[in-house]
Amino acid sequence: MSTLALAASARYERRPLGHFVALLAVLLALLAAFAAADWDWGALTDAERRAQAAARIGAWLAAFARPDLSPDFVRHAWDLTLQTLSAAILGTALAVLLAWPLAMGASRAVCVGDERSAVGGKLVARLWRWLPLRSPAALLCAACRLVQDILRAVPDFVWAIILVALVGLGPLTGALALALNITGILAKVYSELWDSVDPARYGQVRSLGGGRLATFLYGIRPLASRNVLSFTLMRAECAIRNAAVIGAVGGGGLGSEIWYQVRFGAWDKVGTLILFTLLLTLAADLVSNTIRRQLRGDQSRQSGGASCAVAGAGDASRQGRPEGDAVAPPIAVGVSRPPFGPWLATGLVVLALLWSLWFMGWGNRGGEDGAARNHLAPAMELLSGEAWGKLRFFERLLQPELDLAAIGLGDPAKAAARLEQGKAVELFATHGALDFWRPSAWLAWQQALQKWFVWRVVESAAIPLAIAVVGTVLGVAGAILLTYPHSASFQLHAARFSGETPAPWQRALRALQLAAARATAVIARGVPEVMWAFLCIAFFGPGLVAGTLAIALHTLGVLTRVFGEAVDNQPLRRFEPTCGGSRLATYGLVAVPRVWRDWMTYGFFQFESNVRAAVVLGLVGVGGLGFQFSFNFEWFRFERAGTYLLMIVLLTVLIDRGSRLLKLSRVGR
Amino acid sequence: MHHQRTASRRGFLLSAAALAVAGSLGLNAGDALAQPAKLVITAIPDDGDADRMRENFGALARHLGKAVGIPVEYMHVENYAASVTALATGRAHVAWLGAVTTAQARMQMGEQLTILGCRDIDKGFVSYFIANPATGLGTVGDLGELAKAAQGKGWSFTFGSKSSTSGHMMPRKFFLDEAGVAPERVFRTVAYSGSHDVVMQMVADGTHQVGALNYASWDKADDALKARAPIVYKTPPYTNYALAARADLGPDLLARLRAALLAVDGSTPEGAQVLKYLKAGKFIEADIGEWQGYVDLLESGIDIGG
Repeated sequence: MSTLALAASARYERRPLGHFVALLAVLLALLAAFAAADWDWGALTDAERRAQAAARIGAWLAAFARPDLSPDFVRHAWDLTLQTLSAAILGTALAVLLAWPLAMGASRAVCVGDERSAVGGKLVARLWRWLPLRSPAALLCAACRLVQDILRAVPDFVWAIILVALVGLGPLTGALALALNITGILAKVYSELWDSVDPARYGQVRSLGGGRLATFLYGIRPLASRNVLSFTLMRAECAIRNAAVIGAVGGGGLGSEIWYQVRFGAWDKVGTLILFTLLLTLAADLVSNTIRRQLRGDQSRQSGGASCAVAGAGDASRQGRPEGDAVAPPIAVGVSRPPFGPWLATGLVVLALLWSLWFMGWGNRGGEDGAARNHLAPAMELLSGEAWGKLRFFERLLQPELDLAAIGLGDPAKAAARLEQGKAVELFATHGALDFWRPSAWLAWQQALQKWFVWRVVESAAIPLAIAVVGTVLGVAGAILLTYPHSASFQLHAARFSGETPAPWQRALRALQLAAARATAVIARGVPEVMWAFLCIAFFGPGLVAGTLAIALHTLGVLTRVFGEAVDNQPLRRFEPTCGGSRLATYGLVAVPRVWRDWMTYGFFQFESNVRAAVVLGLVGVGGLGFQFSFNFEWFRFERAGTYLLMIVLLTVLIDRGSRLLKLSRVGR
Repeated sequence: MHHQRTASRRGFLLSAAALAVAGSLGLNAGDALAQPAKLVITAIPDDGDADRMRENFGALARHLGKAVGIPVEYMHVENYAASVTALATGRAHVAWLGAVTTAQARMQMGEQLTILGCRDIDKGFVSYFIANPATGLGTVGDLGELAKAAQGKGWSFTFGSKSSTSGHMMPRKFFLDEAGVAPERVFRTVAYSGSHDVVMQMVADGTHQVGALNYASWDKADDALKARAPIVYKTPPYTNYALAARADLGPDLLARLRAALLAVDGSTPEGAQVLKYLKAGKFIEADIGEWQGYVDLLESGIDIGG
């Protein structure tokens, strides 16, 4: 047997247990979710309440069919749409700018690069790789990851309130808050996508003497650029929908208006607003598809040309970095047709950006008396030291309440007083540590611990976690089913790899399927989560079930789109191995395994984003961590809010590190 | 001619320098005396209808602006905490606050907060508890009766905004006092719907069975809605809203603002609009001390549900 074969057999001897562990973990998480929270399925099982819910759904569907199309309200909705659009574009553009350097720092492949372990032994070397203090670069990497986690974990309305102190009231504050939140999200995904590129694919850049920056620019970035672009565009679309935060501090926007009208039950107006939101989502979808198509270029030169072109667009969205121009000419050399596509796409992005700047600065007549006001001016405040000094208002957030007296630490006098009141934790008062095999002991311990504030904070995380776990699993399952009819490769271009010649009626049927699936997905993701939550609450009553269904519906919409893109981004010739097999077999046996890792990345990321969404949904009668946090924040009990915030950040960090540890994010093999 | 021009140019340069020095001196003289070029007024979003609030508080802003000779602009926020933050950090100069938000601002700002005035109705404000007719609940004598009726029914309850006085704080306080138990222990869920009109709507359409809101918002609604969300209990009176301002605007400007506020009446279109919207006869003088009770209440660590 040759050495080559030996190496190969050694490679295949290790069974890939990771997937089974992951599946088991998901199952366990599901079980825990059902055990940890109080699930009241009454809304779905009780016949009377079910009938009531059905009647309400019917009544509101009827109202939706008759939207308020009076000229006044349509003009109002149009104004709101423009406000939302400009703030969302500005926020996303700013976020892309900020996210690139942050992600470069947070990506181990880029920031730390190739490292040889200083210590021997396989296990030690693996542990060594998780120690941030091993080198300055590793420390920087850990710090960047923490920054992006905090940016992402803090709900955007909190960023908005903090920014009020910095730049004052107005739509710009909302756009900046949006930018901070999206920065955290984009940086995480960029860094994961870059980390997930197989090092063997860019090893040659390194072996030719390229440093970390060169490896990134010429190796890693082009290889991941397509996914990076897909995700950026998707995020821009999400930002457009979720721009509710803009209204929180002045400036209007579609999100806050829908939120208000839903709560007020003005369903005809909600109908109009949703129509506008859907139109906006659809337009954003079309534009982003156009951009992607322009950048994709010819199938035959897609690996080289497209990635360069994508890099060019990435630069364009960062407001014309000089390399953008430097990269473009080489593409033009050697191809017969000058590639207008990238320039067109770049132009579209620049145009959108210029328009939103103009609108934010001079075009927005939403203020009083219809006079245009420059909403960009407050940005100058950021340059003054005084504005930053005002951040001291939130200083107390950094001194979380740890309630040490309850566990007998800190000031002895206070601890003794707490003990006297019977409000201190006496863990082993009734059951000793050796009683661990008795269920009653665990109950007693839990009750004792509940006297400690920090423990109550930890317990409050159960509700958003439970909602997110169940909602994500439902949404992922739905998305996998919906992706098949949603995929253009399988519904329109199947003849190019399956060898079949579909009859015209078959083609029509498939096109119809595609249209129906896309419409479902657009509506599911075009309607914001909060809106789904309010609908579900109105249908089924407030509680966990309503929150979970809202999350599941939104997840279904978002994931169907990215799942579908992952499939459609595959060159069609990759599906050829099953030539002759049915389309469904090709989907299940070739397409799904190929994109599975991408899917899991997106799925896991969506789970994380769902945890944060569930935290926010806590505000609308679901309870848990988010509710407690915003409650304390809005009562200016910043110390307590700080503890809850710490928990939210901790949750985000744990999930993020977990996904990195499980290498669920390996994409693009 | 030539000399004259040089001289005049020199004079221009001199005066420019003098102006610059004066300007920097003026800045150095302290912010307290420097009058802002524009006053920003904001309000807690207790209405929920942003356009209605923009329109009516815009009228108040115009009235104040005309009276003091400085442009005044209303900036709308969608969040109670944001309005307090804006006032406390100097991003807004004047704010229309509820009693709780006034107390919160007082606790954040101390002597930096002053009161311009309040409405005639603010010194005897009342909240209503309302219930969906499907609950079969009639008027109750006190909230203990309500708690007893609700026990074990699995009803859901809604307050307005968390930081609202008449939509949360006072109804909760009266509930605690009279029923001796927190609403969380009586109702299946206790939600915060955000604003008074939303509470009424959600109780009327049965999303929540019972709710609490301020009387003015209930009175303002149309009769069909009132019939679907009838009153079951009226709370005792208490002090509520105030127009608060930053003390560093200076005594002179504050005095002019106070005078302008007290002068609001039905004779001008703006005044009439404001009074009609705020359901007030006129604005009256008030002192920050009248809200001290709320500061004490908040500092006593009362159970506010969080």
